[in-house]
Amino acid sequence: MNFFNISCKKATYLVSKKEEGKLSWLEKIQLRGHLTICSLCRKFEMQTGWIGKHAGHVHVEAVLPEESKERMSSALKEVGE
Amino acid sequence: MSQVLLNPDKWVDLYADALYSYTLPRVNDAALAEDLVQETFLSAWKAREGFKGDASEKSWLFTICKNKIIDHYRKKAKDIVQPLAEKDHSDNYFDEVEHWTQEDKPADWGIDYNSALDNKDFYRVFEACKKKLQQIQQSVFVMKYMEDLDSAEICKALDITASNYWVLIHRAKLQLRGCLEKNWINL
Repeated sequence: MNFFNISCKKATYLVSKKEEGKLSWLEKIQLRGHLTICSLCRKFEMQTGWIGKHAGHVHVEAVLPEESKERMSSALKEVGE
Repeated sequence: MSQVLLNPDKWVDLYADALYSYTLPRVNDAALAEDLVQETFLSAWKAREGFKGDASEKSWLFTICKNKIIDHYRKKAKDIVQPLAEKDHSDNYFDEVEHWTQEDKPADWGIDYNSALDNKDFYRVFEACKKKLQQIQQSVFVMKYMEDLDSAEICKALDITASNYWVLIHRAKLQLRGCLEKNWINL
């Protein structure tokens, strides 16, 4: 164990922190070193990056029940009067 | 002027389903999503004089709706003032020397990470996985990745410190990744 060796747990945390551009110079070196030798944490980085990219595009096609829409319409009418 | 640009009579017909579809995956609760859509319309009605027509009626309503969603998270954060848990479920993914455990180590997903995703299964599983997160983790995740807020805004809205924010985001990602792997990749 030396100064530059970090665990997988720490490395995944640094991956998350890196995404926000908040790594110190030491952390950058530690993370780069770890990712070079650890394919599991490389996968973690790739997969969580991918999840973040797709989370914003979640699209569901939900339809409100008619009675809900009617309620909304009458609420709008009420304030309009 | 605003009467010309806005058609409140048509709002429900034109936008209710779209706003609802947007809100639902962000709050995970049908009744709540419906309430937020209704509040969106009422707030829009009250603010109609301020509508200058810079944006379309639709995107103006969506902006109001987004603010309703963030407000909801802000209020919810106040209700659940709890110190950051020292232990989290995701700690179990690592062994005593903090290496991935055999059971929870990332597997090969066998997908092209650069290709577009058009997969209903993914989103269904994603929703289910998101629901399993602790409320505060969900809030942070949705605000960052689905509402595109920056970390300073999120910390302020949820009244959490920057370092708590890292930890929450990180735990959310660990768990979502693990849950997706178990339930979507291995479908």
